[in-house]
Amino acid sequence: MIHIQNLVGGYSKTPIIKGIDLEINKSEFFALLGPNGSGKTTIFKLITGQLPIISGSISIAGKEISSFSKLEKAKKIAVLTQEVQVSFDYTVEEIVSLGRYPHQKGILKNLSKHDLEVIEEVMEITKVSEFRKKQFRTISGGEKQRVLLAKALAQEPEILLLDEPTNHLDIKHTFQILDLLKTHQHVKGLTIFSILHDLNVASLYADRFALLNNGSLLEVGDVNLLRNEEQLQHVYQVQVNAQSHPTVPKPQLLMTPKFVEEAKSPSFVNGYEIKQQHDFVHVHFEQPLRTISNGIVGDGIQWLQHFCQVHAAYNPSNEELLQWFEQKDLPSKQTSVMMTTQRLENIVVVERQVEGIQMMIMAMSEVGMKGAKGKVNMMLFMDAHFSDGALVNGYMIATEAKMKALQELNIATSSDSLLLGLTQNGEVQSSASLENRVGKAIHDMVYSATKEAVQKNLQLV
Amino acid sequence: MRNLSIQKLLSNKIIWLYILSGGLLLGTSLLGLFLSSVTVPIPTILHIISEKVFHIGWLEEVQKNEEMIIWNIRLPRVVLAFCVGASLSLAGAAFQGLLRNPLADPYTIGVSSGASLGAVIVLFFQFSIIGLGTFTLPIVSIISGLLTLLVVFGLVRLSSRSLAVETIILAGIIISSFIGALVSLIISLGDKDAMTQIIYWLYGSVGMRGWDYVQLIIPFMIVGAFILFYHYRELNALALGEEAADHIGVDVKRGKTFVLIGASLLTGAAVAVSGSIGFVGLVIPHLVRLIVGPNHRHVLPLSMLIGGSFLISADLIARVLIAPKELPIGVITALIGAPVFAFLLIRERIGRGSNR
Repeated sequence: MIHIQNLVGGYSKTPIIKGIDLEINKSEFFALLGPNGSGKTTIFKLITGQLPIISGSISIAGKEISSFSKLEKAKKIAVLTQEVQVSFDYTVEEIVSLGRYPHQKGILKNLSKHDLEVIEEVMEITKVSEFRKKQFRTISGGEKQRVLLAKALAQEPEILLLDEPTNHLDIKHTFQILDLLKTHQHVKGLTIFSILHDLNVASLYADRFALLNNGSLLEVGDVNLLRNEEQLQHVYQVQVNAQSHPTVPKPQLLMTPKFVEEAKSPSFVNGYEIKQQHDFVHVHFEQPLRTISNGIVGDGIQWLQHFCQVHAAYNPSNEELLQWFEQKDLPSKQTSVMMTTQRLENIVVVERQVEGIQMMIMAMSEVGMKGAKGKVNMMLFMDAHFSDGALVNGYMIATEAKMKALQELNIATSSDSLLLGLTQNGEVQSSASLENRVGKAIHDMVYSATKEAVQKNLQLV
Repeated sequence: MRNLSIQKLLSNKIIWLYILSGGLLLGTSLLGLFLSSVTVPIPTILHIISEKVFHIGWLEEVQKNEEMIIWNIRLPRVVLAFCVGASLSLAGAAFQGLLRNPLADPYTIGVSSGASLGAVIVLFFQFSIIGLGTFTLPIVSIISGLLTLLVVFGLVRLSSRSLAVETIILAGIIISSFIGALVSLIISLGDKDAMTQIIYWLYGSVGMRGWDYVQLIIPFMIVGAFILFYHYRELNALALGEEAADHIGVDVKRGKTFVLIGASLLTGAAVAVSGSIGFVGLVIPHLVRLIVGPNHRHVLPLSMLIGGSFLISADLIARVLIAPKELPIGVITALIGAPVFAFLLIRERIGRGSNR
């Protein structure tokens, strides 16, 4: 649809765009990415004709861009930019009607019946008809942007150029506008060529991407472009990590600031306190820990600060749990909870240094019951720094060590809970295995703690 | 259904506004013809006009002097007042739309000062060009107004290729102050008589001009109004800003050039025949916008009608208030205009306050 060949252009003398080739297909949502000053808006201005093309060519549907008249171009291409300042108190409807400008015919240039129908339709689509008689200046930023989108759609364009249209909108209105556009893309086959600042939003909506830096294209491709952490880091000069979106199979980028708050980092042993209450044991860490867990609260991989072994006669409902958190004054989103029906005297707490790593384990065994299969709940805290991969490795090693101990005791369990918590101090460990010292440390710690906990449990019964 | 009826109501409202403004124009015109030192009954006035224009009369005897007063003195005065008021209001509406600035008026870009300078030169040197006679003043005035437009344009084009609004306003201010200084210089060099004459001319008047002046302004008014009416959509689109107007297919530079030319023709001609009458071009478009909204499709014609009526009334007041002497019409427009403008300003702020 848009064919850009060897394009050079920009402000006179020093071209901003230094020779790019780009092909944008019909009915696709194409996102142009790149830091400020990389030349994204310049490319748009070269397309709309506001800046002169020094060499190379842009063609729309096979026709050279310069051969279009202004009106012909406006029938093919509409532009939606950041908020526009409108002077005088035009109503929403009047602003939308302006989109019909390139289509109006005759000497009087009145709005024809067809024009009115189109205006009506685009106002329905963008949901602005309800405030059509309101003055444009009095509506909110999100509504304004929808009105301007309606105006752009009223041009009945084949191509829509978006220049950071959601720049100052909140997430509600950003997603509203982009969902609208996405629907229009699918229903009407609109080709969307957009500049989006927010890489995560771009990842969710665009079909293809181009990364621009200093007026040249670094890469053109699908969403995998956003998984290339090194390249993004190089272009944006910010440490980025590509993570998976939890429900959409697309990457989301997480940025790490260069400024890191000076951790008060007390030694591991002084960094936490254990409080025994009548119905639960509470471990509180001063700094949040990177955790991996399958406990009933605080599961998955995240950052947690409070860790509780709770005694309860039955598994509580969600409301009861929330109530419990409130009673105990614990933040429910920062707490890991494991439940036991046994008395809390069974808990074994071991603090030890293994392979030079400070560790603490809190284990609770529940195997003495006759007839029922028991369980072992375990929380292992260590003063180390694990990557996500190492975290999963560590979790496996811990499970294996626990199984080994239980087999030797000839005990089978069915619904164990396990949590691994890391202070993320020190050098990053990218893997944990029985071959290296972190792996060995986990193994030894879990193995001995399991045995100790089960034996204590059996004695008490 | 609801929408349809609302739309109908609205279009009706606008039709009513046109009818009302037409009625206002008719009423003020008749009042202008009727009220004066010599009272001519309204039927006689109507007869004289109909007789002269359509050659259809119904009255048997009309005194010759009444006919003289109505046809040769009062009617041209009223028509001229209308033309000047309409031209200035229309030009003001166009400048405000073009410059996206509600404070713009026909005098913003300096064409009027140019026209004034021409007139002042004629008054100062007391010359007349052979073949033009008493027409020397308005014609020199129009020509110097157009020359000023060229200078302003040249200045704008040299400093900003895209005819940026800020540049237009700045160039207008530069030229205006320069020419204003020249006019002051001429006034200070002149004797008492010339000074009085010049200052009186600068205040503006539509009296004692006759049909010749009407004939002079009408072609400019028609051409100027036609150009502006033709570009009403461009004026609307410019409210979005030039870039956004360009995106919907408006040839911004061409549109701006035409609007500037059209509005300047109107202003130059109005100043040439009547002196610089202030406030009409500033207040009337504002008032019209408050009533019909900012759509230039209606703002332009209604500004013409209401501006014309306003100046007829102002002229009427100017000559009735201390009759048989006359006040300068510019004084009246400013005396009425400034308080109205202040009121509108306050009302707008209060209105906005209650909206938010």
